[in-house]
Amino acid sequence: MTTLAGIGFTTPWLLLGLLALPILWLLLRAVPPAPVRRVFPAVTLLMGLSDDESLSDRTPWWLLLLRMLAVAAAIIGLAGPVLNPTPTATAGNGPLLVVLDASWAGADDWKNTREQIVTKLAEAGRADRTVAVLRLTAPEALQFQSADVWRKRVAGLVPQPWQPSPDQIATAMTHIAAVDTGFDTLWFSDGLDYPDRDQLTATLMQRGGVQAYQTTTNRLGLLPAQFADGAIELTAIRSQALAEQQVTVRAQGRDPGGTLRVLATATAEFAADGNTASAKLILPSELRARITRFELQQVRSAGAVALTDDSLRRREVALITSQTDNEGLILLSPMHYLRQALQPTAELFEGGLGDLLPANPDVIILADVARLAPTEEDALTEWVEKGGMLLRFAGPRLAASDISRDEEHPLMPVRLRSGGRSLGGAMSWGEPKTLATFQQNTPFYGLTIPQEVTVSSQVVAQPDPSLADRVIAELGDGTPLVTRKPLGQGQVVLFHVTANAEWTSLPLSGLFVEMLERLAVSTAAKPPSAEELEGTVWTPISVLDGFGRLTEAGTLSGVDGPDLMEAPAGPGLRPGLYDSGTRKLARNVLRAGDQLRPALWPSDIPVISAALAPERALGGLLLSLALVLLALDVAASLAVSGLLHMSRTAALVLGLTTTGGLCLPVQPAQAQQGADLLGLSSELALAHVLTGDDQIDAIAHDGLRGLSNTLLFRTSIEPSVPVGVDLERDELAFYPLLYWPITPDQPRPSAEAYARLNAYLRTGGMIVFDTRDANLVGSGASSANARKLQQLARSLDIPPLEPLPADHVLTRSFYLLQDFPGRHQRGELWVEAAPVDAEHIEGMPFRNLNDGVTPVVIGGNDWGAAWAVDNNGRPLLPVGRGFAGERQRELAYRFGVNLVMHVLTGNYKSDQVHVPALLDRLGQ
Amino acid sequence: MSLAKIPQATELRHRAEIEAGSLPPLLVQAEQLAGSVLLGEHGRRRAGMGDDFWQYRPAQPGDSRSLIDHRRSARGDQQFIREREWQIAQTVHVWVDQGGSMRFASKPELPQKIDRARKLALAASILMIRGGERVGLTGTSLPPRSGNMQVLRMAEALSIEDNADYAPPEHHAMIPHARGLFISDFLGPFDELQLALSKAADRGLRGVLLQVLDPSEEGFPFSGRTLFESVSGGLRHETLKASALRDRYLDRLAERRDALDSLCRATGWRLGQHHTGDSAQTALLWLYHALESTR
Repeated sequence: MTTLAGIGFTTPWLLLGLLALPILWLLLRAVPPAPVRRVFPAVTLLMGLSDDESLSDRTPWWLLLLRMLAVAAAIIGLAGPVLNPTPTATAGNGPLLVVLDASWAGADDWKNTREQIVTKLAEAGRADRTVAVLRLTAPEALQFQSADVWRKRVAGLVPQPWQPSPDQIATAMTHIAAVDTGFDTLWFSDGLDYPDRDQLTATLMQRGGVQAYQTTTNRLGLLPAQFADGAIELTAIRSQALAEQQVTVRAQGRDPGGTLRVLATATAEFAADGNTASAKLILPSELRARITRFELQQVRSAGAVALTDDSLRRREVALITSQTDNEGLILLSPMHYLRQALQPTAELFEGGLGDLLPANPDVIILADVARLAPTEEDALTEWVEKGGMLLRFAGPRLAASDISRDEEHPLMPVRLRSGGRSLGGAMSWGEPKTLATFQQNTPFYGLTIPQEVTVSSQVVAQPDPSLADRVIAELGDGTPLVTRKPLGQGQVVLFHVTANAEWTSLPLSGLFVEMLERLAVSTAAKPPSAEELEGTVWTPISVLDGFGRLTEAGTLSGVDGPDLMEAPAGPGLRPGLYDSGTRKLARNVLRAGDQLRPALWPSDIPVISAALAPERALGGLLLSLALVLLALDVAASLAVSGLLHMSRTAALVLGLTTTGGLCLPVQPAQAQQGADLLGLSSELALAHVLTGDDQIDAIAHDGLRGLSNTLLFRTSIEPSVPVGVDLERDELAFYPLLYWPITPDQPRPSAEAYARLNAYLRTGGMIVFDTRDANLVGSGASSANARKLQQLARSLDIPPLEPLPADHVLTRSFYLLQDFPGRHQRGELWVEAAPVDAEHIEGMPFRNLNDGVTPVVIGGNDWGAAWAVDNNGRPLLPVGRGFAGERQRELAYRFGVNLVMHVLTGNYKSDQVHVPALLDRLGQ
Repeated sequence: MSLAKIPQATELRHRAEIEAGSLPPLLVQAEQLAGSVLLGEHGRRRAGMGDDFWQYRPAQPGDSRSLIDHRRSARGDQQFIREREWQIAQTVHVWVDQGGSMRFASKPELPQKIDRARKLALAASILMIRGGERVGLTGTSLPPRSGNMQVLRMAEALSIEDNADYAPPEHHAMIPHARGLFISDFLGPFDELQLALSKAADRGLRGVLLQVLDPSEEGFPFSGRTLFESVSGGLRHETLKASALRDRYLDRLAERRDALDSLCRATGWRLGQHHTGDSAQTALLWLYHALESTR
C-alpha cells in the first residue's frame, strides 16, 4: 500500500487517471446542450423566424468544474484510499514466531484475533516464511513449519481459562532457547500483564523484530460473589481506568421448571478513575439458592464468570428442643450455642416438630430430645430417608431415657449404655478428656483441635460390630464422641455431648462451628482458607473453558484442598466446581483481591491496537460524492438548457441518487389514524362488521344509515355516519353497537380479534348477529348462516341465551313492541337469559330483570335490509307488500331505535320507577 | 365505416348531446326563405307540412277521416279539414378541420383541439336539427338532411381523421344561400381558406368561423434550445433560444387573426375564438348567438 499524506492507496496507479482531466475539460466544454423536441402545430407561424442572439454553445465554467470534480472524485475513490492505513506485518523474510497469550482475557474477542492470525499467516505464506506458533498458556516446543500447515491448525487454538504462569513462561523460554536461528516475532497479546512477561519480551527482542497486536487494553473480570449482611456482593474489576463504565452482572440459574435463565441482574459502575465496581444483590433465599453462576453481560470469557458453590446457599435448619419452658439462664440453654454457631450462615427455624417438618428443612437438630410421639417419629424417619439430616445432641434427658438401649433406635446411630459417664468430676478419678485427632476418612479430617476443648460428661455407645464404622470423632481414650449412620438417603448424627457447655467446652470453641460446617449443617460465609481445607481432596465436577462455558470434568484428577484455594489456576487446577463428597466449592479464575494490570510494551515494539484508530476506507465515500456531483450536474445541465421547470424526472433522479449515495435514513410512512379516532370518540357512530361480501357490507352500511337517520329524527341520539369495522385492524371501543350480518363464507377472525371482541363484550358493547335467514336461527344448524354463526360465536364469551321474553326491556326501551320484524317477520330473537331468580311479582307487569345490557342479540330477520336507505333517504329494498310492508318497515325501524336505546340507556326502562307511567300507556 | 369507428362515433354523439341538452332548440332565421328552398318557391304561401295554421278547407273524397277538424265541422253540416302552413327548413353546412394539426394538446389534462372542435360542431348540429334545420357537411360526403338519424351520421362522419398536417376547407357542393359553420385552428395555408370563403360568398353562403387554439399556441411558454415540429413531423423549425421568439410569434398570430377578421368582414361571416383550456359551454353559447344573428 502506498501512502500519500497519511492516506494509503490500494491501487495508486489509478491516480494517473487524474492526468486525463485537462483533456476531458477540452472535450466537455465544446458540447452544447441537446435541443428539446416539441410538437407544436403553430410551427407554420414560426417558419422563417431566426434567432437574433445565439445562445452560448459552450458549457459554463462552473458546470465544467462540477463535472471535473465528479470525475476526480470517482478516480480517487476507485484508487482505494484508506485513512489510517495499518503498517504491514513485520517486514522480513526469515522465520516468524507467532506468540499467543491465549488466556481467558482474550476470549472475548478471540474471533477477531483468530481472523488476524489467519491474515498474518496468509501474509507470511505469501512471503514464503516458515512459522511457529507458541501459546504461552500451553507452551510446546517450537516447530517452524510452512504457514499453510499452521493455518489449518488455527481453529484448534483456543484460549485457556488461566493466565500464563511463571512456570509456563520458563518452559516457553526454554523452547525458544532451543531454536538456534533468529526469527521475527508477532505477539498477539490479550492486553493483560503477568509475571515474567518482561523477561520473555527481552528474550524475543534479542532474536529479531517484535511486533505486538492487541485489540484492546481494557479487560473486565468478575470476582467471586460474596455473601454478607443478607446481600450478595458482586465486584467487577478492570485493567485500565479510562472513563466511567457501566457493567451488568447477570445471575444465572435454573428456574423451578429446570430451565436455565437469568434470575436477576445488577449493574455496577466504575468511577472514572476506579478499577473496581461493585453491586449488591438482595434476593430471597430460595432464589439465591438457585443461582449457579454470575457473569458479566458484555464479556464472554472465563474471567467474567463467577461460579457459585454452597456458600450462597443458606441451609434451612430446624432447631427442636425438649418441651420445657424453664426460665433458666440463657447460657444454659443448648439452643443458645447452636443459634450462635448457625445464625450467620443458616436460616433457623424453631418450634415444634409437627410444625417444622412440613417446611422440609435441610437439617433438623434435636437438642437433648429423647422421645418423640410415634407419628412424629414416623414422619421424621420418612423425612430422613428422603435425604434429610438429623443431628442429635445428648443431654440429661437422653441419658435418663431408655431410648436405643436394648436395640438400636432407627433415629439413633448407635445403641447407648444407660446412664452415661462423667469424667473429671469431684467423684471421679479421671481428668476431663480431650479430643483425639480426627481420622482420615472422617468428615472432620484436617481440623485443628484446640487444647482447651475438654469433655467431662457424655453418653456412651454400646459396643457393637458396626460401631467402628459409625464413629467419626472420638475422645482421646477412644470413646466415640460423634457417631453417624446413614438412613435411607439421609443420615443421623449424634453428638454424645450436650449442645451447651454443661458437659463439654466444645460448644465454646471455634471447632464446634467448623465441625458443624464440615457436617454441612451450616455453610461457610466466606471461602474457606487453605488451613481449613488441609487434608481434603476435591474432585472436579465440571470445569470452565476459556470462554466461560462449563464442561464436564471427565477424568481430571482431584486437587488438594489448600491448592484449590491458594494455587493459581493452570492445567493442573482448572477453574470449575469441585466436590468433596459433602460440600461443593467453586474455584473461579479470579480470586477475591485479584487485580488486572494492563500489559505495557517497551517503546521500540510497535503495537497495533484496534482500539486506537481503525483503518477506514474512503473509497465508498468518494464514489458517493462523485454520484452526488453527477446528480447535481444533471440538475445544473437542465437549468442551463432551460428545461428545469418541466423535468420532474430530473428531480426524481436527483433525489434517488442523493438518497442512494448518502444512504439517508428514510422514515417509513406511518398511517396516521389519530384524527380519525378523535372524531370517532367525540361522536356516536353505529358500526357493522365487514364480512368481505361487498353487497352485504353495502346493505349493512345503508341500513345503519337509515337507522341513524331515524334516530336523528325521532330521538335525542344523533349518530354520525355509520362505520364499517374490520375486526382484524380496527379499535372497537368507540362503537356502542356492532351489527354483524352473517354470510356463509366470511373468514373467522384471528385470535387477537377474538380477544378484542371479548373485551368489547365484557365492557358493555353489544353485537347484533343477523343470520338474515328468517326463522332458522333457533332450530340447530339447519342453515348455512346459522352454522357459520355457531362457528363464529364459539370463541366468544357469550352468556347463556334465551328467546326474548315478553317482558324484556327491549320491548319497551323507546317504543312498545311485541315483535321485531326486519325484512322477514317471524324470526325469533335471542338475548342474554334472565337470572334464574327473577320472579314475577304479583301486580307488576314485568319481572325485575338483569342489570345491564345483553351483550348479544341474535336473530335472523335481516334488519339491515329493512333499514337500508339510499342517499336521498328512500328505502332501498322492498319489504313485504303494500301498506303492510311499510308498516313492517316502520316496526323494523322501531326495533332499531329500541335496540340503540337499550344499548345506551341499559335497564333504565326496566326500572320500576317508570312502571306507573308505563302501565298508564299500556292501558292496564 | 369500420367497426372500430362505431363506439367512437356514439361516444362523440353522447358527449355532444350532453352539451346540447342545456340549450333551447336553436332556430336559424330564414332570411331568404324562398331562395333556400330547393324548388325555388315561396312555401309560406301555401299549405303543407308545418306547425302553424294555414286554412280550413272542405273535406274532399280521398281525404283521410283523421284529418277532419271536428271543432270546425260541428258548426255546420259540412266537414272541414284544417291545413297548416308549409314550413321550409334552413340548411347548414358544417366543416370541421380533421387535419393533423388539430390532434394536439399541450398538457395531458387538456383535450385535443380536434376533440373540442368535433364536440362543438356536433352540439351545434344537434341544436339546429332539433330546431328543424337541415344539417350536413360541406362536400359530397354527407349532404344536409334533417332528423335525428342525421346526428348519428354526422357523428360518424366527424370521427374520420385526415392524415395531412393542415387540411384545406372543403368548399364543394355548397347549397346557395345556406349557412356555414367552419371550425378549425386556421393555422394552415391562408390561401385555401380565402378561396373557400370567397367561393361561399359567391353562392350567398354566410356563416361563422370558429378558431380553436391550444393555450400553449396562445401563450408560447417555451424557452431554451428547442426543435418545433408539426404533428406529423413534416415541418420543423429549430431555435437556440425559444423565449426570444415569443414576441415575434405572438405578432404573427395576431397578424393571422387580423387577416381572418378582414376576410370575414369582406364575406359577411363572423369570426369566433375558443381555447381548449376554456369551457365548451361558452363557445357553444357564442355559436348559438352567432348563428342566430347571421341573418
